[in-house]
Amino acid sequence: MVRTFKEFPGVEWVEGTGDFIKINEEKCIGCMNCVNVCLASCFEIVEQKARVKSLEKCMECASCWYVCHEDAIIFTWPLGGTGYKSEWG
Amino acid sequence: MDEEFDVIVVGAGFGGPVAARICAKAGLKTLMIERSENVGDKVISGLTIPFYGFLFGPEFIRDGNPPIERPSDGIINYIIKDIEKGDIEIDDSLRVPKPFSPIIAFGYNAYCKPFCEWEVRKAVDAGAILKKSTTAIDVIREDKYVKGIITDKGERIRSKIVIDAEGSKGLLAVKAGIREKYRPETISLADTYDYVMLKEYVDKIFGYSVKMCWGWDEQRIAPPLGYGNGLMVWPYRNSIHFMQDQCLRINESHIPNLNKLFKEYHSNITQKLPWWKNLVEPRAKLRARMWDGFEIYVGLNKELRNMPNHIDGMILIGDAAGLESTELCDGVPAAWFSAEIAANVAIDAIHTNNTSKLFLKKYDRKIKRHPIIQWSISGRNRFNLRTAQKEHDLKKLRKYIHNGWGLGSLTHFMTPFFKMLLSDVNKDPTIITKWIKMFFRYYQNWFYESYDYSSIRKFREATSKKLKKMEMKFTRYLRLIDSLLKSLKKRKKLLSAIVVPFSNSLNNLMKKTLPIFEPIYSFILKLLNPISNRLNIKILKFVEYANPSVFHT
Repeated sequence: MVRTFKEFPGVEWVEGTGDFIKINEEKCIGCMNCVNVCLASCFEIVEQKARVKSLEKCMECASCWYVCHEDAIIFTWPLGGTGYKSEWG
Repeated sequence: MDEEFDVIVVGAGFGGPVAARICAKAGLKTLMIERSENVGDKVISGLTIPFYGFLFGPEFIRDGNPPIERPSDGIINYIIKDIEKGDIEIDDSLRVPKPFSPIIAFGYNAYCKPFCEWEVRKAVDAGAILKKSTTAIDVIREDKYVKGIITDKGERIRSKIVIDAEGSKGLLAVKAGIREKYRPETISLADTYDYVMLKEYVDKIFGYSVKMCWGWDEQRIAPPLGYGNGLMVWPYRNSIHFMQDQCLRINESHIPNLNKLFKEYHSNITQKLPWWKNLVEPRAKLRARMWDGFEIYVGLNKELRNMPNHIDGMILIGDAAGLESTELCDGVPAAWFSAEIAANVAIDAIHTNNTSKLFLKKYDRKIKRHPIIQWSISGRNRFNLRTAQKEHDLKKLRKYIHNGWGLGSLTHFMTPFFKMLLSDVNKDPTIITKWIKMFFRYYQNWFYESYDYSSIRKFREATSKKLKKMEMKFTRYLRLIDSLLKSLKKRKKLLSAIVVPFSNSLNNLMKKTLPIFEPIYSFILKLLNPISNRLNIKILKFVEYANPSVFHT
């Protein structure tokens, strides 16, 4: 299955990525860095901890992983053949 | 997959297929794995591949017909002093002059996907095997040696050497212990927009020039890049590509809210920047928006720049090795150069049955000695630009823009350029005529949309006597240059005694003479303008009608 979103034209997301971004709640201090850098609004803060809201618009840029100075974000590649794709990069 | 390979190349982007092709051509059993469903699905960039990538890069690209979107003859820098009052300065000194533009190009604008597909087909033609929809999640370790990869489907694919060409982020390199996660201040998030526009408008508004905008933070026109404030627009054939990028952390404490910033800057650009608002906005239609993170500031840190790019049985190339240019935000030439070096070292290692890190160190030594790679990853003009912005010093801002993206770049580019040029000419004197043919062929290919593997071939047929004469002249002159250069090769010792010290001091010479040379140069250009224009039309006509075989090597 392929998803598209109006606010991100020209890009498609193939389903079946798996949970390729995870948060280690014990390490997370709720600093908001991941929420601030994510252009796809993948994260939210619940009870002062970051949580993955949805990876459906994630473009796998890994900015969340880079800005997490507590190393609470575990970033891996989505499963092969899934995730974002674009003709116009 | 129970087979064992000589080489596994992880990633079929810009660098991977180059390494795979060279290994496969040398008779090595080569596997290229790609995590996306189709090659190029996940490659994002605004893209001018600079000319030096084509000149000094892989032979099959230089002598081939890759798909390009438009030749680029230079950069127009807009220095935005006050966007509300429209107070904008222009520095367009870095331009290939007429009559040479746009045939002799500063670079070639391209979409990543067709270009990567073209490269991959070349690698597959040479015998490399392509496995798509496969993510490498770890490496196989035996003793200290990397002996292959483990895929997301649990397959263990064995090889003598792994070449990691997975691009920015380099997760496999982290997994293998060659890299640690980079700090956010080394990363730039590039927000990219692709707009469709009729070719006649792209021709009229952009021609062959890349537009870059620079200014003060308070203009809110482009994000403070961390080191420099700007945005870039590339003209393609029937479209334009727009990129605004933002460093993930400007100082120790500050992580900006990028979602808010990018939206604000994008709407300011489209509504306030005069040439965008008046010329582009009414004619352009948004087709795609995407973004990616790039390690463009890694090279600014000497320690990071000198990190090893190999371990026992594994080599990193291109973006995975952090070989991206801070100033041009470009990683393609360095990916090509490093892929070629890595492939040759891998071939030697396999032939001598020695894949130890002691042997593979040869790769790092070559990378550290490569004049263009080292120049491109260590440029500090964007870093300096940030200081000028902080101090609100217009004089400094002009100076660093001129040095980075104006004619001032000659003061740091000439020595590495000539060093590469001399070493390539030394190996093969006929390379100069191959370069000339490349420029002409690329323009002709662009003009007719004629590339390898493409079905569109609609060359004009013209066989006038005048044209035939010109074709013969062109071929004859190139032969003459070839024989002249071959004869010079015999005097190699004498020449290198003169030329090598000369090339070493070229940057300094440019620094001293540019202030005098530049006004004279622009005066002469203006003076010769009518003649240059006429000559330019003649050359373009010749390239448009000439038999393509004239430009083939």
